[in-house]
Amino acid sequence: MEKLKKKTPSFSFWIWVIASIIFRLILIYFPKNLNLSSRPEVSTPLTSFRRLAEGYWLKQSSMSPYAGSMYHGSPLLLSLLGPLTVKRIEGQPDHLLYSLVSVIADVFSAMLIRATGQNLRLAYLFSLESLDLVKQIEVSEILSSGDIAALIYLWNPFTIVACVGLSTSPVENMAVILCLYGACSRLIPLAAFGWVIATHLSLYPAILIIPVIFLLGCGPDAPPRKLFLQRHQQEEVLNQSKLPLGFSWRPIIHFAFWALLWSVYVLVLCGISLKQFGGIWEMFKSTYGFILTVEDLSPNIGVLWYFFAEVFDFFRNFFLIVFHVNIIFMILPLAIRLCHRPCFLAFVYIAIFSMLKSYPSVGDSALYLGLLGWFVNELADMQFSFFLFCGYFGVSLLSPVMHNLWIWRGTGNANFYFATAMVYACLQIILVVEGVSAMLNHDRKLRNLTTGKPRDAKS
Amino acid sequence: MADTKEKSESNEKPKPRIRPIVRLGIFLIAHSFLVSVVCCTAGVLALFLLPVLAKNTYISENALMPGSASPMLANQHVLEGNRLVNDLTSSNLKSSETGIESQRIIARYMLDLGAEASIHKFHRQLNHFHPLHFFSSPDSGIIEENYSCSSYGINTVGIIRAPRGDGKEAIVLVTPYNALKSGLGEALSIGIAYSVFSLLSQVTWLAKDIIWLVADSRYGEYAAVSAWLRDYQTPKFSSLSTLDAEMCPDIDNLYDLKVNSITGSKFSSSFKRAGTMAAALVLKVRNKSDQFEDTISIYAEASNGQMPNLDLINVVNYLAVHRQGLHVKVEKLWSLLNSSWLKILGEIFESLGKVAKSLNPKWKFGITATEYVEGTATLASSLYYQALGLPTGPHGAFRDYQIDAITLEILPKFSSDKVRHSDILLRGGRLIEGVIRSVNNLLEKFHQSFFLYLLTSPSKFVSVGVYMIAFALLIAPLPIVAASLYVDASSLGNCSKSDKSTPSASLDTDEHSITIGSWMWLNSAKLVFLVHLWGAIVSLIPYVICQIPDCTPTTSFMIWVLLSMLSFLTLYSVLASPLSCAKASQEKEWALVKSVTISSVFIGLGLMSVINFATAEIGALLMVPMCLLARPLKLDVRAGTLRSFSRMIGNLVLGLIAFPPAAFFLLKGMLDGFGSVNVGAFWIWVESLWAWNSATYLFIGMVHLPCWVLCIHILLHTC
Repeated sequence: MEKLKKKTPSFSFWIWVIASIIFRLILIYFPKNLNLSSRPEVSTPLTSFRRLAEGYWLKQSSMSPYAGSMYHGSPLLLSLLGPLTVKRIEGQPDHLLYSLVSVIADVFSAMLIRATGQNLRLAYLFSLESLDLVKQIEVSEILSSGDIAALIYLWNPFTIVACVGLSTSPVENMAVILCLYGACSRLIPLAAFGWVIATHLSLYPAILIIPVIFLLGCGPDAPPRKLFLQRHQQEEVLNQSKLPLGFSWRPIIHFAFWALLWSVYVLVLCGISLKQFGGIWEMFKSTYGFILTVEDLSPNIGVLWYFFAEVFDFFRNFFLIVFHVNIIFMILPLAIRLCHRPCFLAFVYIAIFSMLKSYPSVGDSALYLGLLGWFVNELADMQFSFFLFCGYFGVSLLSPVMHNLWIWRGTGNANFYFATAMVYACLQIILVVEGVSAMLNHDRKLRNLTTGKPRDAKS
Repeated sequence: MADTKEKSESNEKPKPRIRPIVRLGIFLIAHSFLVSVVCCTAGVLALFLLPVLAKNTYISENALMPGSASPMLANQHVLEGNRLVNDLTSSNLKSSETGIESQRIIARYMLDLGAEASIHKFHRQLNHFHPLHFFSSPDSGIIEENYSCSSYGINTVGIIRAPRGDGKEAIVLVTPYNALKSGLGEALSIGIAYSVFSLLSQVTWLAKDIIWLVADSRYGEYAAVSAWLRDYQTPKFSSLSTLDAEMCPDIDNLYDLKVNSITGSKFSSSFKRAGTMAAALVLKVRNKSDQFEDTISIYAEASNGQMPNLDLINVVNYLAVHRQGLHVKVEKLWSLLNSSWLKILGEIFESLGKVAKSLNPKWKFGITATEYVEGTATLASSLYYQALGLPTGPHGAFRDYQIDAITLEILPKFSSDKVRHSDILLRGGRLIEGVIRSVNNLLEKFHQSFFLYLLTSPSKFVSVGVYMIAFALLIAPLPIVAASLYVDASSLGNCSKSDKSTPSASLDTDEHSITIGSWMWLNSAKLVFLVHLWGAIVSLIPYVICQIPDCTPTTSFMIWVLLSMLSFLTLYSVLASPLSCAKASQEKEWALVKSVTISSVFIGLGLMSVINFATAEIGALLMVPMCLLARPLKLDVRAGTLRSFSRMIGNLVLGLIAFPPAAFFLLKGMLDGFGSVNVGAFWIWVESLWAWNSATYLFIGMVHLPCWVLCIHILLHTC
């Protein structure tokens, strides 16, 4: 809905931001009625609030937080968010403080998205200018993608549900966005910090290192580099300032250095906090190991639980490898094809791993749908937008109904719920495919505009 | 759906090869009018064909083995039952003030059999409208209120522990009993239950515990059963119950039973539990009836159109018909039985069936006209009660906990002598015994047979796979028409845009300029979203109106209408108008609005068909023609042809009929005659819907009403 606020001035942008905060606060005051924190769509074994509280409790009673396969998150989250799970204020909802942290994380993420979006818009304008396309594409028609993306992120029902449902995904999403923001605005330590924390919290963002390297190496999204070269060859104007920078290794070495530093730092902190309980190895086993071996088969909106509930035990390892390699297979071709648009590449990666990850939740979808707003100008001609919208809308309503039919009424069965999960996965695939093809079409269109302009000779 | 539509767009550009599925999609979209007419007609026809397509029921679960053992219920048990009936009817005369006395008698009888007896007291729970209850689990929002001692009821519960069981499973027998004004019928039902109970306390084959609940029905049968079930399923850890007992002196009288009863009794005032319930039977005997033979009617509909497993009905039907010689019937819509058009339809189907049989003797779908009419009447009532979403009896409370339950109402042949009583006790008791014995054989809970079905007679059903076809045909035009409208609107928008910029090379520039072409629908989506938001507000308003004391239904309804209109105007002025003005000039905007409306209706109907099929079917019958026909009146007036004129008339009529209150009054008038219709009736009806947490209420508020408003918006569109 909020994609409508396209041409809103920043004044009304802030109104909508405040309205979203108020809306969240209202919802927070009905925790019992909504019961969101126990929905399988919201809380997975990795992001569940209850498990976090359990882990904290175990740790407080000087046991390993990973005892009993309840908690599978980072020990740092335990130290940071754990105390909030037990703190209560008289007369207020039970987990008010924790919910407030989620709200703040959401708003902070939105602000980072906005700043990054503005960065991207400037880069887009700059590249249009250097291709001399500004006359054809009116600047006023170029929407401020940062505002749109931030509002989409804030008002996306998925984000709101994940925030009110007390899952830890707002914090995880914030780390991912922090990483992208740092890379876009060339704050290398920040980017490295975001990347390390995001990887530490949920493992999958590790593959974001590729878009981050591209971002640091060649700068934010632009049309293909060869377009600039062609154009400047044609006009034989050697205006080097209009050419985008080539790939530079210096920031990447910086990034590697900082990433190393931060990861050592994080590991040392984890080691200290888990000193009595088996150390870092224990942590790796019950966080990354738990993610990679898909131990928990409770239903969620992904497709893996059903598959691994059905598969024979002796094939299990083979299929585990197949499913995880699935993600890795897609990394390289996409990186080659989209290397000139690192932010879009990051979006595609995030969409892919939030579809194929072992315990997906709506919080992951919230992240990539928010990032989609960055590319409103490029994806203006995306096909199937209406179909995708209806699909997302229908599936997100149908999925709880099917779950109810299966679990509470007993008239359905697991296939009913899994069917919606499959439809959801298909929708995500269509979104990614159509997004990528729309982006490539956009590049093609720019190329036609630059090279075909003399041929058309309209002026 | 949009798949096809966008591909058809790209079709216009020269492309070497089109995939067959895309070609099919383009074909469907291009002929959307024809397709929708054909599909809708086929959908309605398929609905009328359902009684013909109904299959005979069969017992799907092998373990049930109904009727494999001969009944053990003998005259001695019947005599005991009769004794209890006599005691009850005479005690009724003695002290009819509190009804404690009769509960005491029942408890003593239970104890005499060696069963565990206990009492359960409950407070009357007023049905409040809690808007968020629809989304939460059943027991999360029970509000503790201050009850007075005057408004409690007492259930008597007897439990027989199975000699062969491990106490993990149980079968429930419920007899509603109102001690304050009980007739002979209620006493007889208790007599039947007692005779079965006395038999079961002696048998050795019992593997599941038997719970006999004498539900105090002074506040309604459903309330008593649901209160007991709630306490059974949600253990209370506080000592609230004991506190209450001390506060209310009346109940202490009942505890005297401990002293009165024989030694070694197992009477307890605490809540007694057995295992998880495999099935539940609610037994009623209607005293006054004008039947010519002993009849049993089966009520199965629980809340939101949920049905118990078909096997339970099958077992009862099989035993009643083939073992006890009872006549079994299910509810019918009586007014349909005499309608002449149904008879004509039935005769047509009958002759068609004969023709088919003459062509190939293996085709046996012909049924006689009378069978057809009866089947349709039963099907209609099945649909009606499922669509209402209200349980048709106390068995509905069990379904909320996934327990299969039905209500059996025994209608004895009209007579008043004593011999008849024992005959009823014997036959009814043997039926109950047989059903319990079958359920006792179960190894798992009911799962073999259908949960989603419609009955056309006690021994015939239409399964989900068949009736979904009718529904799917009915709503199939929606995505196709939405896609075709969308394609039309967006291609027109693109053309006009390119015309404006450069008339010479329109197609070329269209490709080369950056537009938000594919996101044009967002404006219409916003409008649709806002109307649905308004629908949500309208469905929440009764929560406020309920708080106003002393309101007659008519005034409540008026307040509701006023507040709805007020909220509509507020929403319109605050959110809708300034933003929609910008794009209002766009041509064909109504087509996009219609396209988005149809998509939302499609989603809503699809969703509702999963929750409650009958509501979705009836809603689709009303909404699909309205959505498909909607077209701005202005265009039709301008066209001035006969076709547009007839479409205009159709639009106006549909717009009038499909308005939810209008549809209600029309339906009610058709069923009960127009004399009884008044404005308050709608309010009372709606109140009953939300009091029972029926999803139909949400459907009307959040799908049907917004759809109607949007269609009216399209009709009045200034294009």
